[in-house]
Amino acid sequence: MTGVEIILAAAFAGALLTWFIGRTSSTAGSAFAVAVLLALTALVALLHGRVYETVFYRGFLGLPMSLRTDSLSWFFAMATTVLAALSGIFSLSYMKDRKNTGFFNTMLLLVNAAMLGVVFSGDLLSFFIFWEIMSWSTFLLISFNRGQGVNAGLKYIVMSLVGSMAMLVGIGWLLGAFGTLNIARLSELIPSASGGHQLVLLLLFGIAFGIKNAVMPLHTWLPDAYTEAPSPFTAVLSGMLTRMGIFGFLLILYVMAGAARVLHSPGSTVPTYNVVLAWLGAVTIVVPTFIAMLQNDAKRLLAWHGIGQGGYMILGMAFGTGMGLAGGIFHTLNHAIYIVLLFMSVGAVQHRTGGVRDLNSLGGLARKMPVAFIGALMGISGLIGVPLTNGFVSKWMIYRTLILGGAPFLAFAALIGSWGTILSVYKFLHNVFLGQLPSKYENVRSSPVSMKIPILVLSFAILLFGILPGLPLKVIDGIVVSFGLPSLDVSLWGIASEAGTLNTVNLFAALAVGVLVVLAFVRILGRSERVGQDSNYSAGCGVPRDRYNYTARYYDPLFRMISPYLKDFFSTLYDGLARGIGSLCEAVRMIYTGYVSSYVMYILLFISAMIFIHLTWNPW
Amino acid sequence: MVNPVLLLAVPMGLAFTVPVIERITGRVSRWVPVAAMLFNLVLCVRLIPAVLEGPVIVQLGGFVPPFGINLYVGPLGLFFAGLIALAGLVISVYSLTYIRTGPLARYHMLYILLLVGATGVALTGDLFNLFVFFEILCISSYALVAYNGDRAGLESSVKYLIQGSVGSSMLLVGIGMLYGIFGTLNMADIARSVGMVDQGVLFVPLIFMLGGLGVEAAIFPMNAWLPDAHSSAPSSISAVLSGIAIEVGLYAVARMVFTVFGISDLFLFLAFLGVLTLLIGEMCAFAQSNIKRMLAYSSIGQIGLILFALAVASGVTVTGGLFQFVNHTFSKGLLFLSAGYLIYRSGSMEISSLQGMGRRMPLTSLAFTVGSFSLVGLPPFAGFPGKFLIVRGALERGGTVIVVLTGLVLLCTILEGAYFFRVVQALYFREGISGGSGERAPAAAAVAMILLMMLILALGAYPQFAETFLRSAASDLMGAVEHVGSVL
Repeated sequence: MTGVEIILAAAFAGALLTWFIGRTSSTAGSAFAVAVLLALTALVALLHGRVYETVFYRGFLGLPMSLRTDSLSWFFAMATTVLAALSGIFSLSYMKDRKNTGFFNTMLLLVNAAMLGVVFSGDLLSFFIFWEIMSWSTFLLISFNRGQGVNAGLKYIVMSLVGSMAMLVGIGWLLGAFGTLNIARLSELIPSASGGHQLVLLLLFGIAFGIKNAVMPLHTWLPDAYTEAPSPFTAVLSGMLTRMGIFGFLLILYVMAGAARVLHSPGSTVPTYNVVLAWLGAVTIVVPTFIAMLQNDAKRLLAWHGIGQGGYMILGMAFGTGMGLAGGIFHTLNHAIYIVLLFMSVGAVQHRTGGVRDLNSLGGLARKMPVAFIGALMGISGLIGVPLTNGFVSKWMIYRTLILGGAPFLAFAALIGSWGTILSVYKFLHNVFLGQLPSKYENVRSSPVSMKIPILVLSFAILLFGILPGLPLKVIDGIVVSFGLPSLDVSLWGIASEAGTLNTVNLFAALAVGVLVVLAFVRILGRSERVGQDSNYSAGCGVPRDRYNYTARYYDPLFRMISPYLKDFFSTLYDGLARGIGSLCEAVRMIYTGYVSSYVMYILLFISAMIFIHLTWNPW
Repeated sequence: MVNPVLLLAVPMGLAFTVPVIERITGRVSRWVPVAAMLFNLVLCVRLIPAVLEGPVIVQLGGFVPPFGINLYVGPLGLFFAGLIALAGLVISVYSLTYIRTGPLARYHMLYILLLVGATGVALTGDLFNLFVFFEILCISSYALVAYNGDRAGLESSVKYLIQGSVGSSMLLVGIGMLYGIFGTLNMADIARSVGMVDQGVLFVPLIFMLGGLGVEAAIFPMNAWLPDAHSSAPSSISAVLSGIAIEVGLYAVARMVFTVFGISDLFLFLAFLGVLTLLIGEMCAFAQSNIKRMLAYSSIGQIGLILFALAVASGVTVTGGLFQFVNHTFSKGLLFLSAGYLIYRSGSMEISSLQGMGRRMPLTSLAFTVGSFSLVGLPPFAGFPGKFLIVRGALERGGTVIVVLTGLVLLCTILEGAYFFRVVQALYFREGISGGSGERAPAAAAVAMILLMMLILALGAYPQFAETFLRSAASDLMGAVEHVGSVL
């Protein structure tokens, strides 16, 4: 067995074992699950720099199923396992006193194993199989919380099935046209296929990956799913699982269709496809970010950002230059880090407040839950793209690509998205952690250790990748080069390019000087006075507690102004469609009237109609 | 080599000993179906090597075909006989404890007769013989549908009887016309001379036979008996009716179209009819709140899917269709068997009353879930290879109409997913009344369900084995010339 096979075997066997161990003792099961995830992380890390392909199974309908690893697979696999391991640690205390912990752990490991299978697949058949296992286990996990989760899960699996059926048609067609499903072989064959064929394939696969990555207008499953899933799983779902869509897009565009090669050659449909995709990405940035601003549920607010940030990735990736591609991939990683961090912070708050995530009833928790607060603060800094956090670097790369690539409108869209992000995440931070502490939360305790560890690790990662972006960018540069694009000039501190250099040392120095100057001024000139947490609002005057309430209806004027334009039109449309199909089914059911005389009539009518048609038109 | 006639003779003999055994000792009679089907299964396995070398032709009574009746035991026939034996065995194990009240001896006798009829239809090489076995199959199923003796059972049994009789008469009329044209009822003999007769003359008997067999095969619009009959029969019988009886009906249709008549002009129409049956079945299933009716309508849908696969008539799709036969037998069998105890414990067939059963009956709920996933066609269960083969073959064959129909088939999969996942969620993720333990399914039922789950998983993970055999079964179905050559 080669390395990849061992990893996958361990991942699936680990899931199965977790089930059996969890049946005897749920604590042992959870501990074992974390151990498996950590071991997988180590195994994947060992695979760094290896490039090979191996056939692992020949028993499926005569099609060899293979696994491969290269820089792209490794990058996604690494991000997946690390984040899954952190989520596993987080879930130790989150899931502790709940029912069905064993089931949760098993499914978490199964999802993780399926994701690893997806990124390591060397052919589209294995890809599809792992993809489907990923989908149905995700469905079970989204439904896990019951209540609204049931509807969210059903919505997810139905949309996911739409995507996978489109993919199945694409795969069937590829097999018919080229006689192989091996990705390496297909990447040699597809570029020579006709433009029409390419377009259909890109469309079919695009539906599948667009649904998974929640590109507008295929995004409607995501807000419900993120909101209703148990928080540790929301972290996994938002971090890497949704981004399997990005992985898929990279796979069809750059590996299989060879976008890097054909992007600037005439007669190919890939350029048009890229442009459409980039515009969809831009729409996906703008609209959801503003919808996020209107949310009063912490997880739902973040969920809409999950959609919006996916737009940045699509935008960077679809633009097709080395810098944009690297920016898109880097943003995938960065987004995963800070969104997981944010969902963990919310999860910690939920854990301690008894499941509350309503932004209008929380507040002032910063003192009570300092680690969760640090996590949320770092997370939103990354999400906004504050300099010296990781989000800044990838957004910088995407902006730069768009401006230099002569796409000012797309750049503007991305910029508007950033404004919306700032407004909405400030609302999030303020309404949960700042402001006045409602009296019922006076006795809230700090987060448990197993929640603190992943939060601190991820907060550190945000700073690390913000100050030393060269660490991940070296790997990403390897991916870009493997797609056939020129290498970026990456140093540990940033990127040099002909059109402008990113150097985080300079940024760091500038920021440090700025902070020092302000500090000096405050020291020398300022006379400060300490006020209590409750009394800052009214400049020291006493306000009755719990009446400090401007957090409800935050941004109310803006809300009134823009909300008529921000209806989730597609969600309404799909719901209407589902209802329409439902009533159509009810109508069709009336064929079976319940009267045996009409049933006999059907039989006789069929025979006589056939004979009549035969005698009259003789079509057969 | 063992004589394939034993596949029919031994179970039939055993069936008629059941009342006698019942008289002597009441405890043994329920084991007779198990023994009969075990015997058939072993026999089928032993016949595999011989059949793979070439079809085994058995001349009944020593008369040479076309003058005598012959059995045609090719890969396809053996495949069906084996499938019937395996499913029959598992379901009879389930029935050991599931069927507790009522005229037990009659149940077991009719159960064996039903399976003998099905096996006979799959193995015979003679049209009239086919009709006879068909009647054995149908009449025993009319009786078994009413086994519970309740109002719904009797009503749907009578409805089934009326429609089935109309179908049988049509079939008989068709067979009579063929005898008038060809002067023979041997399938191979008709197939040999079918090219010499005007196609227009053949059309009327073909339609009569299609209409007659279509009733049992549950092809739209002849399938109105099915939802009533399948939902009011005891669950073990529903499993047999869905998993075996209608599939055998569809096999007979395919045998007529491919081997006996050998006309390819009708394939596109049949593909349409298949997709229409699929669409209507799935849409009606979607609208159901009664679990057994939902499963029954889903069977209509599956028959439509298989009819589509067979009518596309490329080697890959026919193999896929046959694969789907296996998957449907196992999955729908598993679904009905697990639903049987879910209904028994919850006391109602409404899906809403099954809420929270995942906690009360973990194994049964798991069985239902596995069956659902497999029927929707999710990997790594048995439904996926079949669906994959069908889609692959249909797209390979190409043509705008076929591609559009394939799209419709996949849309139906989404609908199917929606209603099955709804039930899975009800079992596990909706709050229901919580009961204590000790109400789990009894051992015999558990054994049957575990066996089916293992078969589904094995077939999903290693489809190669089945596919190799099914490919020769598919060429057996499509090769009319070889059929003629080996019989005459």
